[in-house]
Amino acid sequence: MHEKTFRKACADSGLNPFLCEIANLREHCSWVHEDIVEGTKKAIDLVRIAVERVKRNVPLSPIQVPVTKKALVIGGGISGIQASLDIANAGFDVVLVEKQPSIGGHMSQLSETFPTLDCSQCILTPRMVEVYQHPRIKLLTYSEVENVEGFIGNFKVTIRKKARSIDESKCTGCGLCVQKCPIKKKAYNEFEEGLAFRPAVYVPFPQAVPNIPVIDRTVCTYYQTGKCQMCVKVCGREAIKFDQEDTLITEDIGAIVVATGYKLYTIDKKPDAQEIKGYGEYGYGKYKDVVDGLQFERIASASGPTSGEILRPSDNSVPKKIVFIQCVGSRDESKGFSYCSKICCMYTAKHAMLYKHKVHDGEAYVFYMDIRAGGKGYDEFVRRAIEEDNVKYIRGRVSRIYEENGKYIVKGEDTIAGMPVVIDADMVVLATAITAQPDAVKLAQTVGMSYDKYGFYNEVHPKLRPVEVSTAGVFLAGACQAPKDIPESVAMASAAASKSLVLFGSDLLEREPTVAKVNESICAGCFYCQKVCAYNAIERKEIKDRQGNVVKVIASVNSGLCQGCGTCNAVCPSKSVELVGFNDEQIYAQINALG
Amino acid sequence: MNELRQLAKELLGNGTVKVIIGYSEGTTPERAKPFIARTEEDAGKLIFNKYCVNNLAVYLTRKEFKRKGTIGIVAKGCDVKAIVQLIQENQVIKDDVYIIGMNCGGVVSGFGVDDTAVKCNNCKVKTPHLYHTLLGAPVETPAKDDGHLKLIQKLDAMTAEEKWSFWEAEFEKCVKCYACRQACPLCYCEKCIADKSMPRWIESSAHTRGNFAWNIIRAFHLSGRCVGCGECERACPAEIPLSLINRKMGMVAKKEFDYSAGMALDAPTLVGNYDTADREDFIK
Repeated sequence: MHEKTFRKACADSGLNPFLCEIANLREHCSWVHEDIVEGTKKAIDLVRIAVERVKRNVPLSPIQVPVTKKALVIGGGISGIQASLDIANAGFDVVLVEKQPSIGGHMSQLSETFPTLDCSQCILTPRMVEVYQHPRIKLLTYSEVENVEGFIGNFKVTIRKKARSIDESKCTGCGLCVQKCPIKKKAYNEFEEGLAFRPAVYVPFPQAVPNIPVIDRTVCTYYQTGKCQMCVKVCGREAIKFDQEDTLITEDIGAIVVATGYKLYTIDKKPDAQEIKGYGEYGYGKYKDVVDGLQFERIASASGPTSGEILRPSDNSVPKKIVFIQCVGSRDESKGFSYCSKICCMYTAKHAMLYKHKVHDGEAYVFYMDIRAGGKGYDEFVRRAIEEDNVKYIRGRVSRIYEENGKYIVKGEDTIAGMPVVIDADMVVLATAITAQPDAVKLAQTVGMSYDKYGFYNEVHPKLRPVEVSTAGVFLAGACQAPKDIPESVAMASAAASKSLVLFGSDLLEREPTVAKVNESICAGCFYCQKVCAYNAIERKEIKDRQGNVVKVIASVNSGLCQGCGTCNAVCPSKSVELVGFNDEQIYAQINALG
Repeated sequence: MNELRQLAKELLGNGTVKVIIGYSEGTTPERAKPFIARTEEDAGKLIFNKYCVNNLAVYLTRKEFKRKGTIGIVAKGCDVKAIVQLIQENQVIKDDVYIIGMNCGGVVSGFGVDDTAVKCNNCKVKTPHLYHTLLGAPVETPAKDDGHLKLIQKLDAMTAEEKWSFWEAEFEKCVKCYACRQACPLCYCEKCIADKSMPRWIESSAHTRGNFAWNIIRAFHLSGRCVGCGECERACPAEIPLSLINRKMGMVAKKEFDYSAGMALDAPTLVGNYDTADREDFIK
């Protein structure tokens, strides 16, 4: 941390800053040792070895690399949308990559938003259209980031644009193919969280951006039997392209904003990769009227399968008694995840409130562990649910849900009253935990981000650098970092955008000159260095004789990519690659200084 | 023998290979020696029998042969392992080598002796696993008691101090002639770390410290790479049991990573390959 200060002091006094060496007595000695006498001896040794090292330092000058002023935003939910718009509005190009056929993310599925109860789609869709129409935003939906190479300011990104089986340049979004598709009940509608079906050719939801359908090849009759082609017949624009293939697009990118969001914890199945015991006793997946938070959002949404009426999925009747259970999977190390999913207290209060607003004579119960309503107007919102809308809050956990005479018997405990509670509910809503996206780890490895044991991406510093990851030039936005609500996600997205803009503010980046260098005369070209290099900084270089014949192929360091970690040096059997400013002679002298 | 000479003659005659690295008779019939056949006439001097102990793969990385066109090589299974490893490590271009694979029933342990080498006792590649032409009939030999394994088990059972004194006594004999390095097909560095003087990591005098440094560095550089041809031990004039070290390292690689060096061309090398499924529990 303080190296910069002292290097600058050297530079100010006319000395090459890389001739400055620090014996780190604070972290490496005084803070970690209690024995003062031994600690002092060690401090003397540390100074001695620093002296040996500095004797062998050579003047170096920073490496300058250009900056590509174009950002990649991964994920087209509200965070990705916000980050894209901020960067684009500042005058820089943005490539927005979304895995699904439409941008919008989870926010587009929500009915109303807390704490103001304004309609989610009404505030989101104008932003989605703005992204679509923005001249500086290149929108790639139904696409995934396949590969990321390079480094800050100079990433080379490969994006796989999956085959929609629709020619986007011809499709007008008239929707005839969707209407006429004979496959009606084969595929669950993902947007409706499985509460409805969708055709084989579909647009995720009416307000989708772009309004271009996708053919689901796993259910489309043409791909199964080679027949049908109804969509081809009705399409007046010849936009259906059954033989369309995935295309790979490469982009030169300067900064990357990762905004891949979250996934709700599916409790009916135990995820393979995680040691989750699950909540089988709640009957999710078994009872149709035991739904999760996102399913209830769809049920409560005016654009949802029930047109906003609160109806049970099993028989379309109005539930007169509804139970909400919070912390299903959250804050439960033995059965779920140890973290708090943060938004469930608020959305459960919202759900209960929406229910009471629509079913005036209904009873709503909420089982909670604690109410966590930190945020502007949040606690007032929960109080409103309890006091104005008469939602009954019960502090305690539910042990079991089972069906009896058409009712769902919810057995729980009221820990304040200290007695068991049994509620014969018509419907149960589980506030299941927010989890990382199932492919979060894969993306982390592609982009070069560290992640916690749950798959959420790690920021560099939890307080002072909350949107940066350890790979320079990559920034985080939204729930891919940790569970977050909309205002926080939007704020974080703007922060990530501003970090990208800081980068785009300069034409050249200065990089540390302490990179690896190959001694070409003795490199045998085994390329173990290439295998271990985490930054793809080792390239192959051909050495030719005067006739142009290749005499040997050796390793060569791309100093723009090299981070100076020294792994190549460690693995090189003949020590033909060394770190500038950290070479073997210096290390040897340092060791010898210890006597 | 005749089929080898015939094939060599053809390969040299039609220009498939520039030279063939093989064996010819030495000063006595029990002393086969490495031989470079350059002409069709030379092909008639090639031999193959149990006295052909050398691992000729060591020549493939020599300046005289490297990147000088297709080289033919007479190779036993253990030699082929070395060739595979060399290809994996970019030292030999796959298309630049023509492997005349020899079915082998084991070789002798050294020049002028008649006992079978220990490495042959439990050989898994009596028929080479990679070749362009395979010669000779497959040889079935009964699996024999593995002499090395017993010694390794004995060493494993020792305390650290006992091990140290065992190897101290062995390494004391080392004169740092580097014959082990020269005989090893996988010691191909252009400048060995032992020859570096700035800084001098390995003391050049025959002192215990330098002897240990050399032998430990050699062991580390070969771990996960050694194919077990045993040439280092055979070349050692001080009779240091180097195979024990190599074999032990190989056993660790097999146990921890299920890896055997020199077996598959497309396999990633052990060192330098990172797999998220790698075991980590041995890191303490």
